Amino acid sequence: MRSVFWYLREFLRVPWIHAFLFAKTAPLLTPPYFREYPSLTDVECTHCFSCRMICPAPGAIEVLQEGGAWHPVIHRGHCLRCGLCVEACPEGVLSSGRILRWQEEDRTSFHATFHIAVDHTKCMRCGNCCVSCPVNKEQDPQMASGGHSSNDEVIMKIAGGKHTVIHEDRCVGCRTCEGACPNSAIQVARILEGLQGVAEG
Amino acid sequence: MNLLQDAKNWVRARSIHVAYVDVGSCNGCDIEVLACLAPRYDIEQYGILVHNNPREADILLVVGAMTPQWIDKLPALWAKIPAPKAAIAIGNCPISGCVYNRRETYILGPVSKYIPIAAEVPGCPPRPTEILSAVLSVAPTVFRDYEVKRP
Repeated sequence: MRSVFWYLREFLRVPWIHAFLFAKTAPLLTPPYFREYPSLTDVECTHCFSCRMICPAPGAIEVLQEGGAWHPVIHRGHCLRCGLCVEACPEGVLSSGRILRWQEEDRTSFHATFHIAVDHTKCMRCGNCCVSCPVNKEQDPQMASGGHSSNDEVIMKIAGGKHTVIHEDRCVGCRTCEGACPNSAIQVARILEGLQGVAEG
Repeated sequence: MNLLQDAKNWVRARSIHVAYVDVGSCNGCDIEVLACLAPRYDIEQYGILVHNNPREADILLVVGAMTPQWIDKLPALWAKIPAPKAAIAIGNCPISGCVYNRRETYILGPVSKYIPIAAEVPGCPPRPTEILSAVLSVAPTVFRDYEVKRP
């Protein structure tokens, strides 16, 4: 019986009742340095697609044209918030957490080059890859079916009855040639290097 | 009757029983759900109890990309939960399949094809605060006036 009174007295104490009813930790706020979904800065997008190429999640980022201006669009439900698109963008179009600040402090950047591999046992020298290549088109608008060219400024051409890669460094990695090849003989590989302490570009 | 309904609404918003089911995740989101239970986030101070029994649950947290083994089991588990009930998809996987949604993976998502999903919390993984706020905002709206709305 005494213990009942003890409990009653204990539980009727004002501090106890207050603690019982209002015990809550302070609401946890997301600190500003957390990597949020990448947001757009005011810098103009040059639609180089570096962000799309580096993105590890399928369908997380798209670069869309709207009213004449290009801008990346992040899809929630696909995005991992890894921040690689923010790091890969050479212009700084996207921003997330303190990635841009760190990048500036450490002078880090990604540098992508492309390697064109042709399987000569599968290649039948049709020249579709050379003709479909948009960079080839700029260098030699005269290139017609067959992929022959007298111009040595093109990325690749059919020379001497053989597929020849001349300027691999000009490849932008669009992989149009892969789609144009009827034998899947050509493959474009992206070689990505992380650089530190080197000026960007 | 109205007063009784108000009392039910009040109670249901403050006493939420949660069950969570992993339909093939990488355990990243599981760990974030468990972090909600830990003292730092302390989900129980909001009246949310996680005891993983679908028969007693109000809210089902679905974690993970939908693997084929769960196609018949997840609707069965959903049927066991007494109404009113709501399912929340935690993380990218139940929404889109995320990084598993590629060729040659056994993913048959999204989860909303199999059970009705009331809310989706994107993120890989979502933060415990996001999970917490999703549960807290879904429960009162979904369970509100259940007896009135019931067909």
